[in-house]
Amino acid sequence: MKNIIEIKDLKKHFKEVKAVDGISFCVKEGELFAFLGLNGAGKSTTINIVCNLLEKDSGEVYIDGLSIDGNMQKIKPILGVVFQENSLDVKLSVYDNLKFRAGLYGLNGKDFKDRLNYLADRLQFADLLKRPFGKLSGGQQRRIDVARALIHSPKILILDEPTTGLDPNTRITVWEFLNELRSSMGLTVLLTTHYMEEASDADYVVIIDSGKIVASDTPNNLKNQYAYDFIKIYDFSQELKERFANDGVVFKEESGHLLIEVKEISKAKEILTTYAEYIDDFEVIKGKMDNVFLNVTGKQLKEEMK
Amino acid sequence: MKDRLSRFGYMLGRNIKVYFKDRLTFVFSLMTPLTLVVLFLLFLRGVYEDSLVNSLPEGFELSKKVINAFTGSWLFSSIMTTSCITIAFCSNMRVDDKLKKTLRGFEIAPISKFSLSLSYTISNFITTLLICTIVLVISMIYLAIVGWYLTFVDVLIIVVDMLLTVIMGSLIISIVGVFINSQGALSGICTLVSSMYGFLCGAYMPISSMGKGIQNFVGFIPGTYSTVIFRQAYMNGILDEIGKDVPAQAVDAIRKGFDCEYYFFDHKVAPWVMYVVVIVTIAVLLAIYLALNLRVKSKAADNKNVGSKI
Repeated sequence: MKNIIEIKDLKKHFKEVKAVDGISFCVKEGELFAFLGLNGAGKSTTINIVCNLLEKDSGEVYIDGLSIDGNMQKIKPILGVVFQENSLDVKLSVYDNLKFRAGLYGLNGKDFKDRLNYLADRLQFADLLKRPFGKLSGGQQRRIDVARALIHSPKILILDEPTTGLDPNTRITVWEFLNELRSSMGLTVLLTTHYMEEASDADYVVIIDSGKIVASDTPNNLKNQYAYDFIKIYDFSQELKERFANDGVVFKEESGHLLIEVKEISKAKEILTTYAEYIDDFEVIKGKMDNVFLNVTGKQLKEEMK
Repeated sequence: MKDRLSRFGYMLGRNIKVYFKDRLTFVFSLMTPLTLVVLFLLFLRGVYEDSLVNSLPEGFELSKKVINAFTGSWLFSSIMTTSCITIAFCSNMRVDDKLKKTLRGFEIAPISKFSLSLSYTISNFITTLLICTIVLVISMIYLAIVGWYLTFVDVLIIVVDMLLTVIMGSLIISIVGVFINSQGALSGICTLVSSMYGFLCGAYMPISSMGKGIQNFVGFIPGTYSTVIFRQAYMNGILDEIGKDVPAQAVDAIRKGFDCEYYFFDHKVAPWVMYVVVIVTIAVLLAIYLALNLRVKSKAADNKNVGSKI
C-alpha cells in the first residue's frame, strides 16, 4: 500500500510554544490512522497544517504524492474534514447546508441528489433533511457534519476529535459506515483523539506529546511494548499467597482476587504453569491503550470512553 | 471558468440565504433606519419644521404640503445615507462565520481564498443594496403621498449615490473585518459606526449647525460627500418649489442651513468634486481590499496554483 500522507520534520511554533516540534510520519492508503494525545499536544495544529488552515514553519507535507506547497487546490477535493465543532449553518435546513457544500466541490443536480440519498440512508438522516440544522440534537448534527465531509467522496477523511459528545448509538452508526467505506472504497481515515478505545481500533497509532512523537506502532505492538498484562486469580488459597511470597512473585490482593502484573504474556504462562495446582479460576487481561499512554508519556488519558 | 463561477455562485447563494434566514441580523440591520423614523415621528419633524419656518423672511409662509415634503425629503436623505453604511457594517457575514468557525469549512473546499472573500463582499453588497432599495421605495411612496417634487434625474442621482455608498460601506467592512477576531470587537464596531456615523454625516442635525472645527473635520470623511449628494438630490425639487414663493436669498440660506451645500474650510464644494471624492475613495478602498486579499493568498502557501481552480 502506498503512503497517502507523508509528513517530514514538521514544525510549527507559536511564539515560545513549540506546538509541533519536528514530527514525521506516514499514513498508508485505506488505513485507519490514529493520532493520540492530550489536548494541546499538537494534534489539531498538525491537522490544520495538513488542511492548509495554518502555515507551517518548516518541514514537508505530501498528500497523495503532492506537496501542500503549491498544490493545495488539487489536494482539497480529495480531503474531507470533520472538525471538533460542527461547521454547518444553524439557520439553514440540512438539505440546503449539504447542497451549498456539495456545490463548492462541483457536485450538483442529479449527482448531488444521488449522493445525498446514499449518505442520508447510511447515516440515518433522511427524515431530517427539511429541518434547520440548529434544531437537531448533538448526535444528529454530528452525523450530518460527517455527511458534509463525505459529500464529495474524498479519498482521505480527517476526523479531528470527532466523537466528542457523541452518544454510543451515533458512534456505532458512524464507525460502521466509515469502516464500510474503508473496505469498499479504500477510504483513508486519519483520526485525532484523546480517547484510548478509539485509538485501539486503529491500524496504526502515533502518540504525540508536547509537539513530539513519543511512540508509534500498531496498537497490538504498542500494547506489547508499553502496556503490562495482568493475571487475576480467583478463589485463591493462603498457601498460594505464601508460595508467591517465598518465590518473590509480586502480587496485590484486591476484592476477591489476586492481581499480578506481568511484562510479557510468556511470563503469565510461566506463572500459571508453575502454580497450576493452586489455581482453579483465573483470567489474563491484556494491557490497554491507556496503560500504553501512561507508560509512554507519564500522563493519564481521559477515561470517558471506558 | 464555468466551474469557478458555479462554485462562486454557490458561495454567494449560501451567504445571501443565511443572511435572510437569520432574522435577528436582519432586524439589527434595520435598527438605524427604524431609529431615525421613530426619532422623526417623535420630535425631529417638529424641529425641522420650526427650523424651516424660522428661516423664512418676515411675511412669507409655506403650505403644509411643502413643509411636509421638505421634512420628509430631509428625513429620507438622512436615512438613506446612514443605511448604506450601517447596514453594510452590521450585516457582514465573513466576520460572523470566522467567529463561529464556519469559515474553516469553506477554506478547506476547492474555492480560492480570493473568490471566498469576494463572495462575502458581494453578498454584503447585495443584501445591503436590497434593504436600501426597500428604504428608497418607502421614501418614494412617502414623498408621493405628502408631496412629490423630485425629477427623474433626482431619482437617478439618488440611485447612483446609493450604489456608490453601498459599495463604499461593503468595502470598508470587508477591510476592517480582516482584523476583527472577537464577538466583542464586532459588536463594538457595529454599535460605534451605527451611532457615530449618523452624527458625523449630519443625519440627526445638519453639519452646518455644528461647530466650525467639526464642520471642517467631517470634510475628511468621504461619507460626508455622499450625504450631501443625497441631500441635494432629495431636496433640489422642494427647494425650487419654495423658491417660487420665497426670495432667492432666503432659499440659499435654507439650502446652506440644511446641508444641501457643503463648505470645506469656507470653500463651497462643487457637486462634481463630491462625486470625484466618493469615486476616488472607492478606488482607494478597492486597492486596499485587493492588496489585503492578495497578501492573505500569498501567505496561504498555495500561491503557485491558487488561481487555476476556484
